[in-house]
Amino acid sequence: MKAVKDAAAGSLESSDVLVTVTPSEGEDNTLSVDSIVFRQFGGRIRSVAEEVIASSGLAGAAVKVQDRGALECTLRARLETAIERALGRA
Amino acid sequence: MKALFGLEERILDTKRDMEAREALLASRNLAVPGGESLVLGFFRDDRLVATGALVGNILQGIAVAGEIEGEGAAAAVTSALLKKAVERGMRKVFLYSKPQEARIFRELGFSLLAEVVVERSGLGAALMEWGAEGIEDWKAGMAKFAEGKPRGAGAAVVNCNPFTLGHRKLLEHAAERSPWLYVLVVEEDRSLFPFDVRLRLVREGISDLENVTVLPGGPYVISSATFPSYFTRVPAGGDSRKITELYAALDLEMFRRHVAPALGVGIRFVGTEPYCPVTSVYNDLMKRILPAGGEGIPPVEVREIPRFERDGSPVSASRVRDLIREGRPGEAAALVPKTTAQWLESEEAAPVLERIRTSGSRH
Repeated sequence: MKAVKDAAAGSLESSDVLVTVTPSEGEDNTLSVDSIVFRQFGGRIRSVAEEVIASSGLAGAAVKVQDRGALECTLRARLETAIERALGRA
Repeated sequence: MKALFGLEERILDTKRDMEAREALLASRNLAVPGGESLVLGFFRDDRLVATGALVGNILQGIAVAGEIEGEGAAAAVTSALLKKAVERGMRKVFLYSKPQEARIFRELGFSLLAEVVVERSGLGAALMEWGAEGIEDWKAGMAKFAEGKPRGAGAAVVNCNPFTLGHRKLLEHAAERSPWLYVLVVEEDRSLFPFDVRLRLVREGISDLENVTVLPGGPYVISSATFPSYFTRVPAGGDSRKITELYAALDLEMFRRHVAPALGVGIRFVGTEPYCPVTSVYNDLMKRILPAGGEGIPPVEVREIPRFERDGSPVSASRVRDLIREGRPGEAAALVPKTTAQWLESEEAAPVLERIRTSGSRH
């Protein structure tokens, strides 16, 4: 499903993550990951994000993950919420 | 209403809230920015302890009460504002902070664009950005235009509201004395003549000059982000000269640090400014800031060119607008090149001319 609007979830507070999803041209998604613990967990954050994006069916969106040391459950919740909003369902 | 960091977040709109906000800003030595489209407040036990505002796509007036400093409230305010900005469709936002506080925002994912301290007033500011298509993307785009062109090129930043014989003379003069000339047209659409018309009339007005590239100024050349007081009035209570100087210095720092290196510019041409106090402050600072150079920043020579005069008075776009306002189109047409004069008579011009005649705006 195509993203229809710009959406964000989460925050930049410590132990949280800010996820923004914006519609882009075409069907592909792009993902950018930034984290204060990138060296340790950057790979894991990316694979979790890719998995959540794939299972949501999102298409044609730029997803930006700005992590401030969130737990994995927090990351998943923020991703799901931002994607739902971008798809116009929440 | 929702709780962020144990604080209650809400939009401020009552007079009482706004007074509390002003007091909080004042306690942190900050002025009320003015022109806000959204003001957020964060309350603890019904007391305002943090605030931040959205002014267009700029985060401004962020302040946290001393009692909760260091508890991450700045992150809460900033991310709440970012979410509001994203919901409003903004892909990119700017932020001003004091230079000594820039580090806080860097940790929140903002990148620093420029930082200045004006010696005369001691005022300082850091301009930062967050989001998609940042300065590096923009510079890469500019560098493409400069590919294969000579270095040490000339540059002129113009608004051309509208393009006059004065602009023509300045650009002609600059083109003759530069191996290549870049003309950057201010893109911010706050002028009586819309941006696409201003850009087109510049292109048409100098299409015979062979060594010139006309480019849109984009978000980093005299925009509401780099130079807000060029577009809005300075807030009441602010010292207008000091604030203008601060923003002018930031814009010039952006030019020196980013624009000039991306295009390979070594000379900046500017017309002398007999009337407008903002532009005259800007020109003065330009002569001090651009030639300085620095690490990885080549110096840019500034050449101030006297305004082109006709019948003893300088030809300026504001004079042309005044003549249109006074219903003297013939005299206005005599001050502009044929290309602009033709456009002024076109159907497309009618609503613009009408707006000039009826609006009180000077710009």
